Amino acid sequence: MAVARSRSKLVLDIGSYVVLIFLAFICIAPIVWTFLTSIKLEEDIVTRNMIYIPTRITFEHYVNLWNQSGYPVLVVNSLITTSVTVLICMLTGTIAAYSFSRFHFRGRTQLMLAYLIVRMFPAVLMIVPLFIVMRQVGLLDSSIGLAIAYTSFLLPLFVWMLKGFFDAAPKELESAARIDGTTRLGAMFRIVIPIARNGLLATAVFVGIAAWNEYLFALMLTTSQGSRTWPVGLQLMVGEFQLPWGMLAAGGIISILPVIVLFAFVQRAMVAGITAGAVKG
Amino acid sequence: MATLSIKGVRKSFGSVEVLHNIDLELEDGGFLVLLGPSGCGKSTLLSIIAGLEPSSGGDVVIGERTVNDIHPKDRNIAMVFQSYALYPTMSVRRNIGFGLEMRRVDTSSREDAIGRAADLLQISHLLDRKPGQLSGGQRQRVAMGRAIVRNPDLFLFDEPLSNLDAKLRVEMRTEIKRLHDRLGTSVVYVTHDQVEAMTLGTKVAVMKGGVIQQLADPQTIYEQPANMFVAGFIGSPTMNFLNGTLENQDGKLVLHHGEETLELSGVAKGASAYVGKKVVAGIRPETFSKGAGPSALTGIVDVVEPTGPDTMVVLDVGGQMISARLGSRERPHPGEPMTLSVDTTALNLFDPETGDRI
Amino acid sequence: MTSNPQSIMASSRPLSTWDRINPARYIGELSETRFWMYLLLLPSALLIMGVVIYPTLYGFQLSFREMRLNRPDLGTDWVLLKHYQRMLSDQIFWISLRNTAVWVTAAVTIEFSVGLIAALALNRNLPGTKVLAVFILLPFFLPNVVAGHMWALMLDPRLGVINDLLVKVGLLGGYKAWFADPSTAMAAAIIVEAWHSFPFFTLLLLAGLKGIPTDLYKAADIDGAGSISQLRLITLPMLKTVIAAAVILRVIGLVNSPDLLLILTSGGPGRSTQVLSLYAFQTAYKDFNFGYAGALSVIMFILLMMFAWVYVRLSKVNQD
Repeated sequence: MAVARSRSKLVLDIGSYVVLIFLAFICIAPIVWTFLTSIKLEEDIVTRNMIYIPTRITFEHYVNLWNQSGYPVLVVNSLITTSVTVLICMLTGTIAAYSFSRFHFRGRTQLMLAYLIVRMFPAVLMIVPLFIVMRQVGLLDSSIGLAIAYTSFLLPLFVWMLKGFFDAAPKELESAARIDGTTRLGAMFRIVIPIARNGLLATAVFVGIAAWNEYLFALMLTTSQGSRTWPVGLQLMVGEFQLPWGMLAAGGIISILPVIVLFAFVQRAMVAGITAGAVKG
Repeated sequence: MATLSIKGVRKSFGSVEVLHNIDLELEDGGFLVLLGPSGCGKSTLLSIIAGLEPSSGGDVVIGERTVNDIHPKDRNIAMVFQSYALYPTMSVRRNIGFGLEMRRVDTSSREDAIGRAADLLQISHLLDRKPGQLSGGQRQRVAMGRAIVRNPDLFLFDEPLSNLDAKLRVEMRTEIKRLHDRLGTSVVYVTHDQVEAMTLGTKVAVMKGGVIQQLADPQTIYEQPANMFVAGFIGSPTMNFLNGTLENQDGKLVLHHGEETLELSGVAKGASAYVGKKVVAGIRPETFSKGAGPSALTGIVDVVEPTGPDTMVVLDVGGQMISARLGSRERPHPGEPMTLSVDTTALNLFDPETGDRI
Repeated sequence: MTSNPQSIMASSRPLSTWDRINPARYIGELSETRFWMYLLLLPSALLIMGVVIYPTLYGFQLSFREMRLNRPDLGTDWVLLKHYQRMLSDQIFWISLRNTAVWVTAAVTIEFSVGLIAALALNRNLPGTKVLAVFILLPFFLPNVVAGHMWALMLDPRLGVINDLLVKVGLLGGYKAWFADPSTAMAAAIIVEAWHSFPFFTLLLLAGLKGIPTDLYKAADIDGAGSISQLRLITLPMLKTVIAAAVILRVIGLVNSPDLLLILTSGGPGRSTQVLSLYAFQTAYKDFNFGYAGALSVIMFILLMMFAWVYVRLSKVNQD
C-alpha cells in the first residue's frame, strides 16, 4: 500500500513538473520569439530558411520605432492616461472600498452588488454614448476624457479588489484608534490605509496595467496624435506599412516591458487581491 | 477613577433586539465581569460603554457624566481588545504613546509615561520593536501598556486572554489582577470564561439573550445562582440537575427522584410552597461524598476520570447521569454500584417551569 | 501609576489658529456623523453614475432611435423597434450570434481545462514551481494588441515559426495562412484567446484549491480513494463556487470585448470570425450607425444576463 501510494505520488510529481514546464514554455515562447524577431535584421526575418537564433543582432527596429513612428508621443500619451486613471481610482475608489469594508449600513449589499454588476455592461453599449457625451463636453480625443472613460470598468474593479485588502485589517484597529483619540477620518488615514499600503499598491498597479493595455475605448475615443495611446498607434502601423514585423515586435517588447517589470514586482500581492475580490464576488 | 452606571440601555439591529433594558452599577475601583456565551450581547454592551456603537436607548454614566453623545476619545476610557489591535506599522513605543500623541501631550511627558507603563509591565526592552516581532504574551502586555499609559477613568477589556495558550492565560490573568489591585481603576471585563470571571471580578453579571440573568459577587453567583442557566453556566463539571417531586414527610422536606429519596435540610424557605410539585434540584459535583446518609443517591458507576487532585465519577442513577467530584483516593470501577451522600445545605432548588431558583 | 490625570492634561497643548481653520479638522468632525459611510461612497458613486449608468441608459434609448453620425439628414427620431426588427432579417446578426456561441464555448472550455490542470499542478507546491507560476500567469497581464501581434507573427503564412515547425515535423505539407482560411481562422483565434486568458482560471482555481483543508485529502487517502476519485469527490465539489464565479466572469469578458478578434481578423475572412460584440463595435465605429449598434449591444446584454441567471440557477441546483 505505502509503496504503491508513494509511487503514484512520484508519478504525479513528475507529471506536474512536465505539465508546468510545458505550460511555462508555451506562455513564454511567444514573448521570446517576439524579442528575437525584434533584434533580427530585416532580411533575417523575411527569409526562406527560418532563422531561430539570430547570428546578427541589430537594434535598428527600436531606433526606427523611436525616431520615425511617433512612438514616444504615443508612450507619453499612454503614461498620462494611465496616471490619470490610477489617480482617479485612488482618490475616489480608496474611500469607497474603505466604506464597504468597514461599515454596515442600509443598502450596503445592494450597492456592492451594483459595483459588481456594472462590469457586466457591454463596453460597446457604453462606448457610443460616451463618444457622444465626450464630444459634447469637449473631452473627446483627450487623455483626461479617455481616463474618465476607463474608470467605467476599472473603478468598480479597483473598489472590489481593494476592499479585499482592507478586510484583512482587523476591525478592532479603528476602535482602538478612536479610543486613543482619532476621528474616523484619522483612523482611516493614520492606521488602516498604512496597513493596507501593499494592497493599495498592488491594486493601483493592476488598474494601471489594465489602463496601459486598453485598446477598444482608446480606438473609439481618440482620433489624433494628441491623445492616441500606444496600442492604437501600434495597430495603425499594420496599415501604414506593409507588416513591418521588426518594428511591430520592437514596439510590442517596449510596451510590455513595464508590464512585465511591474507584474514581477508586485505579483504576489496582486494575485492575492484579484482572487480575493473575485472569489468573494 | 470613576463609577459606572448603566440605566435601561437597549440595543437593536433592525428588528432584532440584542440588549433588553440593561441596568448595571459599578462602584469606584470595582471590577465588573460581563460573563456569558457568545451572542449574549456582552461585547455589544462593552462597545456601547466605550462609545464605539450607539445605544438604541438608555443612559451610560461614567463618574458624574452622562456620556451617551460623547465621542469615545473624550470618555477618558481605555480598552484592551481580543486581537490586541496593535497598530502593525508603528513601534511598540509609538503604539503605547499613540493615545497621548493624539491628545497633544508633549514629547517629554509622553516618554515619561511610556517609560513608566513599560516598566510596570516589564516590556521596556521591547519598545523599539514592531508588534509583528512580539509573542502573543508580549503583545498582550503592550496592549495593556497602551491602556494604562493614559490613566483612564475606566478600563474596558474585551476577552483579552482568549487568544493566549492555557499556561499564558493563567499567568496574564494574575497579572491583570495585580494591575487592578495596584492601579485601583474601575474595570469592565468581558469574557466567556467562568474561571476568569470568578477569579477577577468583584462583581459578575451573567448574561444571556441580551438580558442580565444575575448580577452579584462571584461567591453568590456560585452558591446561589438566580436560575438554572446561571447554575449550569458556572462551575466545571456543570451542576447536576435532578428532577423530582417535593414532599413533606414527617415534618421534613424530601425530594423523590425515582426510587431515591433525598432528605432536604437547610433548603430555602420558599421551598415549602412547592410541596407536592415537581422541582429541579441543582447539586454541585463537589458536594457529594462517598457513603450513605439521610440524603444519598445510589447508582452504577459509569465512567471514572482521575484528574490528579480529584477523581471525577459519572454515576448512572436510574437512567440519569450524575457527575461527582471525589477525593483522589477514591478509585471505583465502572459497573460497580456506589452510594453518594449529598451535602444538602449547598443544594439549590429550581422551578422547572421558569427555571428560577426557589 | 504615580502621575495623575491632571498632570497629563495640563501638558496638552491648546488649539492653535491653524488647528481652528485646518480643513482636516472639519472633515474629521464630519467623519463622526452618521452619513460618513455614504459620504465616502459619494465620489465613486457619482463617477459610476456618470460613466456607466448614464451611458448605458443612453445606449438603451439610442437603440430605439435613428442615429447615424454620417447621415445627419436622417435626424435622430424615435423609430421604436425598427432596429430590433431589422436584426431578425439581418444575416450577419445570426452568423455573429452563432459565432459568439462557438467562440465563448470553445474558449471557456479550453481555458478552464488548461487552467485547472495548471492550478492542480501548482497546488502541489513542488520546489521550483513558484518561478514557473510567474511565467504561467504572465500572459493574462499582457495587452491584447501585443498578444495578437505575437501570434500573428508566429502564424504568419510566409515567416511564421509555427508553420515552419509543423512542416519540419511533417504535420503540415506547406506553410498555411491560418487567419486567411475561413475553416481555420476561428480555431486559430480561439487558441490565441486561450493562451491569453487561461491564467485567469489558474489564478482563481489556485486560490480556491488553497482554501480546501488538507485534512480532507488525508482522510480520503486513509479511506483508500485514488487521485482521480479525490479530484471528483473532493476537489471539484469544493471548488464549485469558485468555478461558477470564474466561468461567469470569463464569459462576460469573452462576450463583451471584441478586442482580440478586432486585432487578429476584424471578423474575416468573410464572416467566419464575426461575433456580436465585434459586429456592434464595427457598426458604431465604421458605419457610425449608433442606433443599430445600440440595439445589438442591448440584445447582447440581455443574452448575457439570461446566461448568468440560468448558470447561477443551475450551479445552485447542483449544490443542493
